[in-house]
Amino acid sequence: MAHDADVLTGAGALAGEAERYGHNLPLIEGNKTYRQVTEEVFAPTERRPPLRWWLAISVTLSMLTLGAWAVFQTLTRGIGTWGLNRTVGWAFDITNFVFWVGIGHAGTLISAILFLFRQRWRTSINRAAEAMTLFAVMCAGLFPIIHMGRPWLAFWATPYPNTRGSLWVNFKSPLLWDVFAISTYFIISLTFWYIGLIPDLATQRDRAKTKLKRVILSVFSLGWNGSNRTWSRYETVYMLLAGLSTPLVVSVHTIVSMDFATSVIPGWHATIFPPYFVVGAVFSGFAMVLTLMIIARSVMGLEAYITTRHLEAMTKVVLATGMIVGMAYATEFFTAWYSGNPYERYVFLNRALGPYQWAYWTMVGCNVLSPQFFWFKKVRTTPWMIFILTIFVNIGMWFERFVIIVTSLHRDYLPSSWAMYRPTFIEVAILIGSFGLFFTLFLIFTRVLPMIAASEVKGVLKHGDH
Amino acid sequence: MATTEFRNARFRASFADPEQLLHAVAHLRSAGHRVLDTYTPFPVHGMDEAMGLRPSRLPRACLAFAILGLALAAGLQIWTSAIDYPLIMGGKPLLAIPAFIPVAFELTVLLAGLGVVASFFVAARMRPRLRIPDLHPGANDDCFILAAELAADVQFPAVARELAGLGASETSLLVEDRFQRDTSFWDRSAGAGALLLACLPAFLILALVPVLNRDFQKRNLAWDGGMGAPLSAQAFDASGVLPGGEVLQAPPPGTLSRRGDPPLAFGPGKAEAERAGRELQNPYQPTQGRFNRGKAIYERVCATCHGREGDNNGSMIVARGAFAPTVLVSPVVRGMPDGRIFHIATFGGPTKMKGYGDLLSREDRWNVVLYVRELQKGSVKPAPAPVPAGVQP
Repeated sequence: MAHDADVLTGAGALAGEAERYGHNLPLIEGNKTYRQVTEEVFAPTERRPPLRWWLAISVTLSMLTLGAWAVFQTLTRGIGTWGLNRTVGWAFDITNFVFWVGIGHAGTLISAILFLFRQRWRTSINRAAEAMTLFAVMCAGLFPIIHMGRPWLAFWATPYPNTRGSLWVNFKSPLLWDVFAISTYFIISLTFWYIGLIPDLATQRDRAKTKLKRVILSVFSLGWNGSNRTWSRYETVYMLLAGLSTPLVVSVHTIVSMDFATSVIPGWHATIFPPYFVVGAVFSGFAMVLTLMIIARSVMGLEAYITTRHLEAMTKVVLATGMIVGMAYATEFFTAWYSGNPYERYVFLNRALGPYQWAYWTMVGCNVLSPQFFWFKKVRTTPWMIFILTIFVNIGMWFERFVIIVTSLHRDYLPSSWAMYRPTFIEVAILIGSFGLFFTLFLIFTRVLPMIAASEVKGVLKHGDH
Repeated sequence: MATTEFRNARFRASFADPEQLLHAVAHLRSAGHRVLDTYTPFPVHGMDEAMGLRPSRLPRACLAFAILGLALAAGLQIWTSAIDYPLIMGGKPLLAIPAFIPVAFELTVLLAGLGVVASFFVAARMRPRLRIPDLHPGANDDCFILAAELAADVQFPAVARELAGLGASETSLLVEDRFQRDTSFWDRSAGAGALLLACLPAFLILALVPVLNRDFQKRNLAWDGGMGAPLSAQAFDASGVLPGGEVLQAPPPGTLSRRGDPPLAFGPGKAEAERAGRELQNPYQPTQGRFNRGKAIYERVCATCHGREGDNNGSMIVARGAFAPTVLVSPVVRGMPDGRIFHIATFGGPTKMKGYGDLLSREDRWNVVLYVRELQKGSVKPAPAPVPAGVQP
């Protein structure tokens, strides 16, 4: 499978790519040897965490505890602890759900789509980005499940044979499509991540000092010994999974957008929703990858692996998708005006000028204006500037979902049922808790597993500098 | 296959650079040696051609699983939505093919992905292994290792010198068959993916038997009782919110029966009871129907305290030592006018009895008065209360 091997190592093509890129920066800085890569990538998993790691996890665990308390309140006292009403029947929970699913999409984009496009700079960040995907999807899944009120009956959403008379789930409902899309997305992302991990788990196994660690890693590394016959099949499987994940990731946010687009609520019932949501997901996901990577590379001392070249490439994705998102906002207004539908027109005027206008203009400011700074190379290559801008992007993308959901629901066809929505402390606490869960899992991940795909990095080590 | 005999001596060589390994493999093969496998920390570009490996057939397994996933999704959705549970939802046709596309796509991807990974694990014989042969130290770190079998009539030292010239840092003869076989049944047949694929439809058809033979008379196995065990309060549960835990609270004063009786021109109290005795007449004449009705009400409501014959005999509260109610067949009650008994039935007695004006209709209270009169005449001998089986009197 030479053409597959080429994907991971790609000697000749890469030099050419570096030329096209405009400069001959190496993918990995510091002229490292293979042994150095092994030592540096696995070092964080083999030494005791530093003080700042403990400080960070104490903060995230506190957030997680607050969220756990709020979920407990929700489950024992009911959904009445949330600020929902008959008019705005879902708000914070679905906002957070869409936000977290969107965050996850960057991981798959980096691991699958950039892989198919032969973007070899992905090798330094794909492992962590895929982990981020998994953790984000876990956070996303939390919200619909606790909104059920009886989460222990969540399995009722799956079609399983039962004796309740002929009774099956409704395959014509976008909410059921969501169940299939999100669970498939999680399973395939987990599989893809695990397949990518196996060679590194074998390295970790070979380096394990304690017997327990060695046994656990032996189980999960599946007897990997670096055989070329296995590598050959491995690359085939990796390529196939990338090919499967690419349409999958597009389908997931398409289906999420159909939760809204297939309804008749003005402001939701629009054919632009699937591409609009997918691009928004990539936009927010890349911003989150940047936020995490800028922290991680400095805390873990991995600046040689996650270089400013990586950061710059990602900021360009953020800039491009940010402008597509801005285009979508404009298109929505045009569609509302051109439709001649008074309800559609009202919803969009209400978005920009109504009681939630602060949320709308926060969204526009964060999503449309802040990425424009990435036109400047100075900004694209200065980590702290990127960090601040990506935080703004994520605030903006959270508000985008809030605006779409709440402003469309709170004033629709029947003025007598117009209402306002404001979250309760419990809802805010659950959102904080989901961030706590996300960052706690990520912090544990950085100490337990190699954050960088060592086997992939070794494959691109000798390239870019000749 | 572990008993494979060495046709010739086998050896390994270790390199520090993938290019050297590639050259060495090409050199060994052109010299007639058999390269068994190489072990490297990352896939080496061009190694498959150098070793003469054929392209993997895993894409075919992937396609097969994708088709299986699609067929499963189509079958599941069509059968459940249009055949087993033909319920019209959202005005859509039962066989709403466009609505089935998303789930069909997801299941296609799911089975293709999981299927190709399972096939890969089987084909590459990957499974948890606690011991890895020491054949390839450093192959997961920074060493590039080959394992090969000498061509006939060639001595190892000569080959070792050649390899050292090609950059090998270490060469040694192998004494045991510790590396994995180069070919096997599974390798040649692109994995048990094919076998799984062959078995899966059979399993699915078997799984259909219990699905089609469901017994709708039986309840589901429900680990929390589901909707059958609601969180709402059950009958006779103490109330958590009402005073005294009593679910059935006394209605506020002046509450009227919902049966539509006009307001009664009497209030509670002894003076009003005496006035009722003077002013009220029983508007109904004793008939068999009223007797039966009065008896039914009396035995359901009054007998608990007053006894089935009005003599406190069998009274629940007397049996429990609470207090003795007025004996209805006593001369005192015999001497009361109908209106006074009616007033007590409505507003309660002078001591403990509560009123039943809000629970019994006015007509039923008069029926009870008629029945009490029959009890006082001694003309009624109710049948003894049935003794439940198994209870010793």
